[in-house]
Amino acid sequence: MQLLDIRNLTIELRTSDTVIRAVDRVSLSLKEGEVHALVGESGSGKSLIAKAIVGVLNERWHITADRMHWRGVDLMRLSSQQRRKIVGQDIAMIYQDPSRCLDPTAKIFDQIAETLPAVHSSGFFLKRNRERKDRVKALIHKVGIKDHEKVLTSYPHELSEGVCQKVMIAMAIARTPKLLIADEPTTALESTTRAQVFRLLKSLNQLKNMSILMISHELEEIVDWSHGIHVLYCGQMVEAGPTQRIFSHPRHPYTQALLKSLPDYEHGLAHKEPFYALKGTIPTLQHLPIGCRLGPRCPQAQKACVVTPPSTKQHGHSYACHFPLIKAMK
Amino acid sequence: MQPLLKVQALSKSFNLRASLFSRKQFSVLKNISFCLEKGETLAIIGETGSGKSTLAKLLAGAGTADSGQIYLDGNIIEDNGVRDTQCRHIRMIFQDSEASLNPGLTIGDMLDDCLQYNTSLDKETRVEKIKVTLAKVGLLNDHQHYYPHMFSGGQLQRVALARALILDPKVVVLDEALSSLDPSVRAQTVNLLLKLQQETGLSYILITHHLSLVRHISDQLVVLEHGEIVEYGRTEDVFQAPKSRVTQKLFNC
Repeated sequence: MQLLDIRNLTIELRTSDTVIRAVDRVSLSLKEGEVHALVGESGSGKSLIAKAIVGVLNERWHITADRMHWRGVDLMRLSSQQRRKIVGQDIAMIYQDPSRCLDPTAKIFDQIAETLPAVHSSGFFLKRNRERKDRVKALIHKVGIKDHEKVLTSYPHELSEGVCQKVMIAMAIARTPKLLIADEPTTALESTTRAQVFRLLKSLNQLKNMSILMISHELEEIVDWSHGIHVLYCGQMVEAGPTQRIFSHPRHPYTQALLKSLPDYEHGLAHKEPFYALKGTIPTLQHLPIGCRLGPRCPQAQKACVVTPPSTKQHGHSYACHFPLIKAMK
Repeated sequence: MQPLLKVQALSKSFNLRASLFSRKQFSVLKNISFCLEKGETLAIIGETGSGKSTLAKLLAGAGTADSGQIYLDGNIIEDNGVRDTQCRHIRMIFQDSEASLNPGLTIGDMLDDCLQYNTSLDKETRVEKIKVTLAKVGLLNDHQHYYPHMFSGGQLQRVALARALILDPKVVVLDEALSSLDPSVRAQTVNLLLKLQQETGLSYILITHHLSLVRHISDQLVVLEHGEIVEYGRTEDVFQAPKSRVTQKLFNC
């Protein structure tokens, strides 16, 4: 069953003189129990899409979509109360900047306890308190924090970035949501803890059938266990499809460049040989090129590229390019 | 042959307050020794809290060691906590280039400050030097009138590199300088670093979590755990046959 189905999501920022289109007609669909990844450079609108799904963008951002269905219910047509109820129950999000997203005035225990789902237990309040404490403790052990006493009684500013990130993950999985949106959940963690967090998410996906939308700019982290990848460039969806297919047959020059910048996947690269990199830098949102936004940097660009390429779909693998790469990668 | 940089028995400890009056010694680095040749790259890996960043700071002169010596080109530059005041041969690039640049100075002023405090060049030579350095890292001459907020992340990394290179250092220390970058910007930066190494024989000390990058660009590898070197050797050898448990754990995940 289609869990999340988004068609032509557009997010615009209205300034006094112009309209900046930060996300341009992005389509995305997610089945139950699937892990999808959203990759792209910083500033390509990954976090905006996530925030638009959860509905936490403020008034300045103008969101339009042909359809944004959550299990058959169109989120765009709901009132904010109804939407909040659905999102609060079924969708959880791990935000990007953990130490800034936690409440600086409350202790970690209170913040986690707040997110726990209400359970009707017939007990005196002392018993209920004890139960709540145990549940918070169990959650925090789950994400790999060992000295719970110290962490639970401290404020966010007293903890390191890595621990804050783990607290954030604990809060997100407290309700066992149907969909977890993880916005760069492991940037502040070192490699061993990172592997631990991925193991946890993987087990939640397999045991609780939780769908995950991973946002990351590190491709190699997600390749092993994601079902699908969506590659974004400057707010345009350049390529989307099953992970293995994208890795073996990238059709868009940007995806190819992304893959080639990974030493693991570019075999035959001699020691200290320069990587393949596109020239130039990602344009700012104020100066976006017309047509295909990769145009000025693309090695295959031709005259036709000033028109926005339509999305072509083949066997569930869609790409938006006038001159797709046919050759398979070595 | 004399190695370019030689670190001998470097140790560092911090004083921590144990209770009201007593203090506790917490040693961060114990007996670190390694050598670095000209034009080579040494990578330092390890878990958080293993003393990587402290070591980087000691090498760049941002802190002093308790004991041990650092030799550069045969000359002693740090001897048991006494540092030679010249900071121009070993330069450092920090993790967050945006935060490490002064937002109130233009790039040109910032680079000029480096030269004014460390060299005795006159005005014309300084201007010429700034121009050459900016060209070296792939920026335009006009960029020296820009403020840091006008650059993108990848360009800021180039500015940080320009600040490190303007004093013609022999060693550049990169403390997680590549990990916060986007993949394509990182590829560009790595290409630039490799090009500079080939052209000028610069040596790098690379501190990172990114193992495939370590394998690709480094010649030697140091694995730290709790301030001690647990493995030290040629990168390829260590990757082929990691000996210690810590290294195997790092490689496995």
